[in-house]
Amino acid sequence: MGTYRLRAAVACVLAVVAAVGLAACGSGNAPSGGSKSIEIWEGYTGAEANAFKHLVTEYDKTHKGVTVSSLYVNNDYTLQKVQTAVAGGNPPDIAYLYGSWAPNVAKISGVVTLTKVVQKPGVNWTDFWVGERDVATVNGRVIGIPALVDNLAVVYNKTLFAKAHLAPAGPNWTWAQFMADAKKLTDPAIKQYGTAYVTPGSEDTVWHWEALLWAAGGNILNSNNTKAAFDSPAGLLSLNTLRTMAVTDHSMYLDPTDSAYANLFNSGKIGMLVTGPWDLSAFPNVHYGVQIMPSFPGTSGGHQTISGPDNWVIFNNGATRVKTAEAFLLWLTAPAQVKYFSLHTGDLPIRASVADTPGFDAAMNKALPEVSTFIANLGNVRQARPQIATYPQISQVLGTMVVSVLLNKSQPGPALAAAAAKVNQILAGSG
Amino acid sequence: MTAAAALGRRTPGRAESAGRRPRRAESVTGWAFVTPAAVIIGAFGAAPIVWSLVISFTNENELSSTSTRFTGLRNYRAMIHDPIVTQAIEHTLVYTALFVPGVMLVGLFLAVAMNRKLRFMWVYRTAAYATMAISTISEALVFIWLFDPSYGIVNYFFSLIGIPQQQFLNSPSEALYVIVTMTIWGWSGFAVVIYLAALQGIPQDLIEAAAIDGAGRWTTFRRITLPLLSPASLFLAVWLTINALQLFDEVYLSTMGGPLNATTVLVYYLWEQAFQFFKYGYASAIAYMLFIVILVVTAIQFRAGRRFTYYRS
Repeated sequence: MGTYRLRAAVACVLAVVAAVGLAACGSGNAPSGGSKSIEIWEGYTGAEANAFKHLVTEYDKTHKGVTVSSLYVNNDYTLQKVQTAVAGGNPPDIAYLYGSWAPNVAKISGVVTLTKVVQKPGVNWTDFWVGERDVATVNGRVIGIPALVDNLAVVYNKTLFAKAHLAPAGPNWTWAQFMADAKKLTDPAIKQYGTAYVTPGSEDTVWHWEALLWAAGGNILNSNNTKAAFDSPAGLLSLNTLRTMAVTDHSMYLDPTDSAYANLFNSGKIGMLVTGPWDLSAFPNVHYGVQIMPSFPGTSGGHQTISGPDNWVIFNNGATRVKTAEAFLLWLTAPAQVKYFSLHTGDLPIRASVADTPGFDAAMNKALPEVSTFIANLGNVRQARPQIATYPQISQVLGTMVVSVLLNKSQPGPALAAAAAKVNQILAGSG
Repeated sequence: MTAAAALGRRTPGRAESAGRRPRRAESVTGWAFVTPAAVIIGAFGAAPIVWSLVISFTNENELSSTSTRFTGLRNYRAMIHDPIVTQAIEHTLVYTALFVPGVMLVGLFLAVAMNRKLRFMWVYRTAAYATMAISTISEALVFIWLFDPSYGIVNYFFSLIGIPQQQFLNSPSEALYVIVTMTIWGWSGFAVVIYLAALQGIPQDLIEAAAIDGAGRWTTFRRITLPLLSPASLFLAVWLTINALQLFDEVYLSTMGGPLNATTVLVYYLWEQAFQFFKYGYASAIAYMLFIVILVVTAIQFRAGRRFTYYRS
């Protein structure tokens, strides 16, 4: 009895140790260097997941000998997981990574340079929007292929505009007009606000302001990314515009949670929102319209907007698998597949030629009213945020600056100067 | 105590009389049972803990970059000069100082109120514990709306009784207290369960004896009930403090450390350093400082607890 129990216990231990050992190196053994099996980490859910699955199945069917397997990873955590996987010597072949991470991604060993790949005939690199190409390129080196593109525009409640006897904004409108409309749409008695702004101080706070800064003709950093450039008349103009609405007119609902604003807009409590196409499906209860961003007359900025594209990035798991991954990505981002994906998900097309296809806008608008304005607005994306590894830290400084002005804790001028000093410190490497 | 000691003395004698061989077999069996758990805890618990200590002495920022090198105590020195670390420590301590007594008082009050025979008592008890079962994200969403400056019901009640409208999560001076309220609500159910169990373990004869001696309800509570609850109180104090010092979820879900860093607590800040800025070395150093803080605070609590805690034999 005693020896039997002992033997059983030892067997148990061996089984567990073996299982742990296998789990630790399991996926490393599966696709060998010469295999044409590749693994993709992506974070698609819902309609996007279905469309992506369809495309992968189609690729597997039409490309004999190649197996593409995809693994769901929450997009927010992909970079930290990829970093761990690379450190463990077992990265995925392709990963979906946020564009804002690109400078940090470029520093990871094993990230495949795609500069020559995207110049191949048939790829038509310039067909990708300039905002996307900028974000896929770090110091002249292409490290990714665009996976998603969006931009900011103004979504407004047509019913509230009519009630306030306001004409809907035209494409030539100005920020002065936006402020005046916001003021007229505000009614404290029924807790209705002209507009809203997200104030957690995160990058979501920051990029909304950056669009205004660019529209006012300003820049975040100087051309070689060595000094802050936003402490300028354009910086002042952009912050004063926001301050007038938040502090003087009280026409701006401040949302520290980054989530309440969408519900409020959908409940008819907010007149205008500066937001992206991803929010449109959250507004089924209101009759909304979409207009491009207003401009600051007398500046060079025009109706510029900002875009937050994401990238597909390839990791080196041997020459064969890199080649397989490249071939798959070029197929996935070719016009036919881009069109299929957009039409089935409502995501903006990552290629200009797809946007120009006859009937495309109408088909997109059918599923998601007015999304075509966001598509046209891609032409107003003229620049990208600084492609430097310290951008997340700079973003934090800018977030604090914008929030302190909106909460009336500091005046635009001193806030800009203080933030510029901190950003210069970060850029000098002592932040 | 005496029974355990007696048992302890008796066991070796029994093993001796049974001879040496089975004893070794027993110890091998013992190890065999412990090994799987030890391997798993070692691989997924202990190894990362040690590894992050190593990382805290490096300039690690990509996990896989080739430029990683040892920088000695630089991360720890940087921490001293980082104004946000100072703020984060302040917020963490203020939060802990309000949260721990808050949960214990609310829990004790509810537990005492529920420690009686009443119809539908199980409904009240379930309701009290439900706060523990509700996920943090639902809790955060509900509180975000309760405390919304424009549309929240809290400001509505304030307006009814003439209190001026508050900015709550939009105000750097109020946001932390909203999070304190949110988490006290979330954890009170836990304290209720612990206190309720302890209350039911109090011998009725002691209460009766006090009554015979002429003690009123308040005196009985203060002189009999509270001292007999002290082991439960010590457990709650230690457990809640450890959790409070590690506050993250509610901050991440409601304010993301804002507005203007007003709710940036230590764990949130180290998360930000590691997973937003990719400064793994610096984040590990902050984690180790937090570890030492928790160790010291817990040691003090146990030391102090020994003096105030009454264990019945």
